[in-house]
Amino acid sequence: MSRFLMPPPARNARRLALRLGPFSTRLAVRGLAANLLLASYLLLVVWLGLSLGSRPIPLATILAWLRLEQVNDTDSIILGSLRAPRLCLSMLSGAMLALSGALTQHVTRNGLADPGLIGVRSAAALLIVALILAWPQAPLALRPVVGLAGGLLAGLVVGLLARGASPLKFVMIGFGISWCLSSALVILLASADIRSLQRAMMWLAGSLEGADWPAVRLALVVFVPTAIACLGLARQAELLDLGAATASALGINQTRLHVACLAIAVLLVATSVSVAGGLGFVGLVAPHMARFLPRQGLAGRLICATLIGALLVMVADLAGNVAFAPIRLPVGISLAAIGAPVLILLLWLRRNRI
Amino acid sequence: MTAMSSAGHSRERHALLLMLSVLAVLAILHIQQGARPIPATVMLDAVLSPDRDAFDHFVILSLRLPRASACIVGGAAFGAAGFLLQVAMRNRLAEPHVLGLNAGASLAVVLVTTYQPVVLPDILMPFAASLGAAGLFGLVLALSALGSGRFDPVRMVFFGIALSALASALVSAILILNEDTLEQLRFWLVGDAAGGGAAAVWSILPAVALGLVAGCLLMPQLATFSLGESISVALGASVHRTRIAALVVTALLCGSAVSLVGPIGFVGLMAPALWPRLHQRPSLGAFLLVAGSGAAILLAADILALGLLAPTELPTGALTGLAGAPVFIWLVARRLT
Repeated sequence: MSRFLMPPPARNARRLALRLGPFSTRLAVRGLAANLLLASYLLLVVWLGLSLGSRPIPLATILAWLRLEQVNDTDSIILGSLRAPRLCLSMLSGAMLALSGALTQHVTRNGLADPGLIGVRSAAALLIVALILAWPQAPLALRPVVGLAGGLLAGLVVGLLARGASPLKFVMIGFGISWCLSSALVILLASADIRSLQRAMMWLAGSLEGADWPAVRLALVVFVPTAIACLGLARQAELLDLGAATASALGINQTRLHVACLAIAVLLVATSVSVAGGLGFVGLVAPHMARFLPRQGLAGRLICATLIGALLVMVADLAGNVAFAPIRLPVGISLAAIGAPVLILLLWLRRNRI
Repeated sequence: MTAMSSAGHSRERHALLLMLSVLAVLAILHIQQGARPIPATVMLDAVLSPDRDAFDHFVILSLRLPRASACIVGGAAFGAAGFLLQVAMRNRLAEPHVLGLNAGASLAVVLVTTYQPVVLPDILMPFAASLGAAGLFGLVLALSALGSGRFDPVRMVFFGIALSALASALVSAILILNEDTLEQLRFWLVGDAAGGGAAAVWSILPAVALGLVAGCLLMPQLATFSLGESISVALGASVHRTRIAALVVTALLCGSAVSLVGPIGFVGLMAPALWPRLHQRPSLGAFLLVAGSGAAILLAADILALGLLAPTELPTGALTGLAGAPVFIWLVARRLT
């Protein structure tokens, strides 16, 4: 199992050293190239997402709109209040889920751990739905806070129940918690009165349907600082690969590091749930897909997984919109239809290491 | 040895009697429950000498009795399917919902209802559902045996969950694309016993009966499994053939139950867990005991679903999930040590 969890550190990768006065950094050339390639794919998908739809919009118009020039009103409304927020939200929620998955998998050394899968997501969803039902006018910013509380609680319960368990059993216990919470969610929804129920259902299933700029702003406000914090922690967290004893000999306070990383992971999931509802598979699959790319340091791997997560959700949303043209599939469904086969393929490719 | 086994038999008989009386009490409670209070004497009357014009009789015969019998038939099938699966795979975590049989059966039902490749009479629907269940479960088995060549229990559960998610995504996609089917199947899909009425119960009964009888016939062969594969081979059991037969019967039971009451989970996990040490001595009595307990569990869940928030009906599947998921966690956590 451990080989499945921890890719050996990049030993043979060609590195590039950058020095500027007293500061220096080393970059894995091929890893950097892979990340740049992913970023360019991201731009391509952004273009596709903005231009495809029931009214195709040419690239020239999009570029003009991005430069804040005058474009015709219909296009400007379609881009500004429909496609762009949806695209941003899908990108951000995918990025958040993937980053949290990658971080959790690294810190718990469990290649199957994904906070979205083991009950954190269901707990966040349960509390957020309860909030929507109990206080429909609650400000949007309260949702991630409530979700965070629920997610942390679920994470603690899973952690306590699964102390000393093998990675797979840890995930099983998480599944159990998740089933329990989603049954509670169904009961809560069934017992609610109709009007508030519709609001909650829309958020639960519609996910990206109600995308607007306040949600994007909220996601951005959480994502940017946590992503920076992750990259800052990556330098220390990378040393965990050397084993617990070596890491503490090198001066790593492991408890603090674990708590910080897992809290960040739960916060990311809670935020993603509160803006986009439940999206599965991203946090589990994206970090594993990142391992098929050239090896690089933990920071590079985190960035890589984040980019892949954003790409996954955007492509899934695009596919859901285009596949059955007048009808839009909710992104959760197309994501499961893409993510589940990918997951099975990944597990099959690494079948001897589980 | 003889004394021991006779003690075991009498204990089994007591357990069976206990289970039957609980089942009867639950069935009466279930039928009595509802917006219109109906005295027990009228209830008895309705069953013994039905009068088409009396309103109370109508309520009992065409609303409450079909629902109660749907719960009993579906619960028995789910319980029996879970036990068969657990004994055949030698895995306490095996359960139709967890291993993807339910999802496969629902996918088959939704596909057949939506696209109608052939117009199936109602009596064949459980068999179509069973085919779906068997197909998805076969995939789960193949994937979990790949690489290692043996069935690792926990890996099987993991692949079961992943494939279930895929199947339910497909179901949702089909339902969103076809609104008529969505209207038709919306309540069935969250696990709801109210659906079909008496006709549905009758059309499902042959398939369930076939499955239960086949399960009973398989039980003596399966009993040797509990001793371990090598011993059971030494005792002359053909492990492979028996296992495949048991899995086919499981798929049949599970498919019929799903096409009657919808994909309700965890009944097959809870029913055997109620009785201690059942898996160490699987026998015909144990099989019947588990089937009866499954029926009782589903009846109890349905009573709660109807009565908990009285005018609002809760989906039965949510209640079994709420009760069954902790059992699953307990089973996993207990195996840690």
